[in-house]
Amino acid sequence: MTDDVLRVGVAGPVGSGKTALIEALVPVLIARGRRPAVVTNDIYTQEDAQHVRRNLAGVLDPERVVGVETGACPHTAVRDDPTMNLAAGAELLERFPDIDTLLYESGGDNLTLTFSPVLADMFFFVLDTAEGEKMPRKRGPGITDSDVLVINKTDIARYVRCDLAVMTADADRVREGRPVVLTNSLTGDGIDRVADLLESYRRVSA
Amino acid sequence: MTATATAASAATAASAATGGALDTLLVSLQLTDSAFPSGRYTLSHSLEGFLQAKAVSATSMPVLLTDLLRHSIGPGDATALALAHRAAVTGDWDTVAEVDQRLHASKLNRELRLAAIRTGRQLLDTAQLALGGPILDRYATLVTAGRAPGCQAVAAGVAYASGGVGTEQAVASDLFAFAVSFTGAALRLRLTDHRRAQTTLRSIAPAIKEVTAAALRREAADLGGCVPAADIMSGRHERAEARMFAS
Repeated sequence: MTDDVLRVGVAGPVGSGKTALIEALVPVLIARGRRPAVVTNDIYTQEDAQHVRRNLAGVLDPERVVGVETGACPHTAVRDDPTMNLAAGAELLERFPDIDTLLYESGGDNLTLTFSPVLADMFFFVLDTAEGEKMPRKRGPGITDSDVLVINKTDIARYVRCDLAVMTADADRVREGRPVVLTNSLTGDGIDRVADLLESYRRVSA
Repeated sequence: MTATATAASAATAASAATGGALDTLLVSLQLTDSAFPSGRYTLSHSLEGFLQAKAVSATSMPVLLTDLLRHSIGPGDATALALAHRAAVTGDWDTVAEVDQRLHASKLNRELRLAAIRTGRQLLDTAQLALGGPILDRYATLVTAGRAPGCQAVAAGVAYASGGVGTEQAVASDLFAFAVSFTGAALRLRLTDHRRAQTTLRSIAPAIKEVTAAALRREAADLGGCVPAADIMSGRHERAEARMFAS
């Protein structure tokens, strides 16, 4: 990419909190003077796109949220053939040239999901505590190769027999020290750290 | 074949000495491959709309495919591909742009127009990189300038021309790619299985041959199909509450 737009991927299993992370992150980015837009990859409905539009009403222009259908292939849409996402992103930038941050939410998928480097400059992989303490030990390129691993829903860990200390230690070990952030996207815990890490991938203007 | 030879890009000319026919076959295979990144896997070409209306079954799916080839894709996309291919070969860029605009106008639904443009522009982008050559660059200039919308069939026609593939083979290849994409969608919609899909693809070969021949004969004035039922299904699909595919 030759422009100054930072492209960010958000991947993770179904229900882990990809949409919630985006809904928590966008107001923080806007407060920091950024102008984000969102491309969601819904599997079957426009539920995610509508959810984001609804929850960010008054914060983000609903026109800056678009949904892309993926023909039942979420990993293809962000990795093997990201062309439809590239097209949706290009159309958004054409309509709103002031956008400086494009957030791509993948459809919920398995632990092998990664983003094509052509589509995203960096990507988050979102796990949650309810999926089980064992998840980081299962590895998978999403968990090991993502730029930042987010472990969401820290508040319910104790109710789902998840030892956060074990989960975090395992994540640190399999990721060889690359960033792991604990979040509760509904209260905003950890979101500033997520935003800091995102910003660290922004190219410095020449 | 004379026209094709005129079209040969620098890359094709170089390869001609080492077996041009085989090289153009390889270009065809690459552009036809469902792994070629143009986003076609996100399209059902109205099939999902038919299924949502309970107007197609596993038995009638191959018949619907044949009908769409004969009455929609053949007179529309395949004809545009043939016309654009010939025009690109002779450097007639006004005609390429006009064919592109006509094809775009012949697509009655927003989702069909959007699908054609999104897949077309992405195909063009990757073809420019992978195949290269002045023909693709020239067409890309037209699209960027807004003179041509960049429909998939026209972009494919220009790409085949750039790779030195003859008109007939280019048309047949793209019709086959459409059929693969359609049956792939049918598989995901549980309207076929992995074995019957292959039987379908082989069984429609006569229809592809027939549609190719007709597309090669058609003139610009006759461009565009007439499939009101499919258009209605696509129109409904555009507003469907739930869907897997973009068309």
